[in-house]
Amino acid sequence: MPWTYFEAGTEDWPIANASFDAVKATDLYRTYVDEMAFAEECGFDWIGCNEHHFSPYGLMANCNLIGSALVQKTSRVKLAMLGNLIPLLNPIRVAEEYAMLDVMSGGRLVAGLMRGIAHEYAAYNIPPDSSWDRLKEAYELIVKAWTEPVPFRWEGEHYQFRSVSIWPRPHQQPHPTILMSGGSVPSAKFAAENRTMMGIVQLDSLTTARQNVDLYRQTARDNGWEPGPDCVLVGLHTCIAETDEEAQRLLGEGEAYFYGTLSGGPRTAQRIILQKSRYYADSGSSEDRAARRARVKTMSIQERIEAGTVLCGSPKTVVQQIKRTIEAVGNGVFNLNFKIGRIPDDAVYRGMKLFRDQVLPEVRDL
Amino acid sequence: MSPARTPSWEEGREAGLPYRVTGEGQPVLFLHGAGGVRLTAGLDELAQRFRVYLPTLPGYDGTPTMPGVTSMQELAHLVHGFAKTAIGPTYDVIGFSFGGWLASWLAVLHPESVQQLALVAPAGFRPEGQGGLNFPHEELQRRLFAHPERATGDDKPPEMVVRNREMAIYYHGRVDSDAELIDRLGEIQCLTLIVQGTRDGVIPAESGRLLRRRIRSSYLAYLFDAAHMIDSDQPARLAGLLEEFFTRGEAFIINWSDSAA
Repeated sequence: MPWTYFEAGTEDWPIANASFDAVKATDLYRTYVDEMAFAEECGFDWIGCNEHHFSPYGLMANCNLIGSALVQKTSRVKLAMLGNLIPLLNPIRVAEEYAMLDVMSGGRLVAGLMRGIAHEYAAYNIPPDSSWDRLKEAYELIVKAWTEPVPFRWEGEHYQFRSVSIWPRPHQQPHPTILMSGGSVPSAKFAAENRTMMGIVQLDSLTTARQNVDLYRQTARDNGWEPGPDCVLVGLHTCIAETDEEAQRLLGEGEAYFYGTLSGGPRTAQRIILQKSRYYADSGSSEDRAARRARVKTMSIQERIEAGTVLCGSPKTVVQQIKRTIEAVGNGVFNLNFKIGRIPDDAVYRGMKLFRDQVLPEVRDL
Repeated sequence: MSPARTPSWEEGREAGLPYRVTGEGQPVLFLHGAGGVRLTAGLDELAQRFRVYLPTLPGYDGTPTMPGVTSMQELAHLVHGFAKTAIGPTYDVIGFSFGGWLASWLAVLHPESVQQLALVAPAGFRPEGQGGLNFPHEELQRRLFAHPERATGDDKPPEMVVRNREMAIYYHGRVDSDAELIDRLGEIQCLTLIVQGTRDGVIPAESGRLLRRRIRSSYLAYLFDAAHMIDSDQPARLAGLLEEFFTRGEAFIINWSDSAA
């Protein structure tokens, strides 16, 4: 959920909050929650929310709070928290809050257990060098907290708890559906080794996405299981309008605000952490990765459409783009992000309705 | 944590300024406050991490004033001459209280030389009527020290204490807030750390905020359980913070506690 009132961007990190206006933000939260709840009426299977810190591009410092609001406003859709950044948080608190959401929603939670992006580590004063180790340990501890029927002590490298026995336990048994990132080689492998869903929420290219999905599937087979298409999620900026031109104009303006105005500060922290720490040490050269990301952000909308890293166009065009993505990546789940930057809310609603009426009937059974 | 061992200071004179120096490692220029040179536990801690150059500014601690050095700007030029000779063409600076004010002028007037700047409870940026030193003795002590029992280096004769106080006025008049300097803070290009004690009753938090807003590449740090005399109240915590800042640069925002590097 982006802050939509900046006139100019900044490269400062963290971005000063003096201009924050709580009255405007109250409206933003209300509108955003209503938009997300509207997804149920539009036939979506999931509603997803994410978590970011010190970030005007995402005002959801705790996605579970938004999830809790959505529990009350929906009855059928799954609620995908994409998700709690577990190396930054108290894993027991994550297990508890997710269990609450799962129980309150009658078992509709998809539990995203994410590592987070680099600047979150500066925000929460967690050493980025140990993010992978923390993620692995926190993951195991959370699953243990959900599944262990007797109180237990946890003596780990990063976490120690003298006696754990959470209340409530989750509604879904043995535990809620788990989704982890598959955006890098080690993360795709980790997801497969632990039989969780994998999600690529920021697509660099269809080719690298496919490579990660292939690795995920192969690792799963090596570990004795076969993931179906519904185990693989791809997240994409999405804009659907009556015509291709209108959709491109809307998404172009939305992304210009998102990348140009909102993302400068986090990019500064990201650059420092990538240069100075071993945050991406396990996933190839951080320079390569940073360069790849930087390239994506300088591409025009037309180039991004061509590369398959956004869904953008008329309903007919978007149907073709979805088919192309499925063919190239092999995913069965899409996370469609309609609210990009400052795209007006009426355009977001229109896009969701077009999806419901003209896109979904064509792609539902693919 | 055990206190740092007391370093032995060598004494010398460069560019007309008497100075002390001690410690090993990266050199750092330390500019003292309006009370003159105080050999505090904070300096002992710094000396475990840096080679600390500590000049005595003209007129302080019984030294004479210098002709042609009667303003903050002239004092800054003088200090630059000292640092260039004693340390080299570029240097890092820590300025405490009055010294923070002076260090800010130094960074404005000699941006090519000041590499990194730490302003510890800097004077010179107080909103009118807030903070300051004009309080009855007991009240002032509470504003200066969160832990008066830790205070060291304050054993000067009363007449020297009075004279030191007068020197600050000699250089800047009775100004709480240096409007000319505030207008020029945007010229400071170097990475700057502003440190405020959470219990500082002399320099209000608004001063730190003003600096943070005006200096482009700056960070504001609050030290818990410290009043104005941060280097007495929390010597190890202050030195650790300054060490991280001067050695890590902008990567100071990262938590390095799990790192081998």
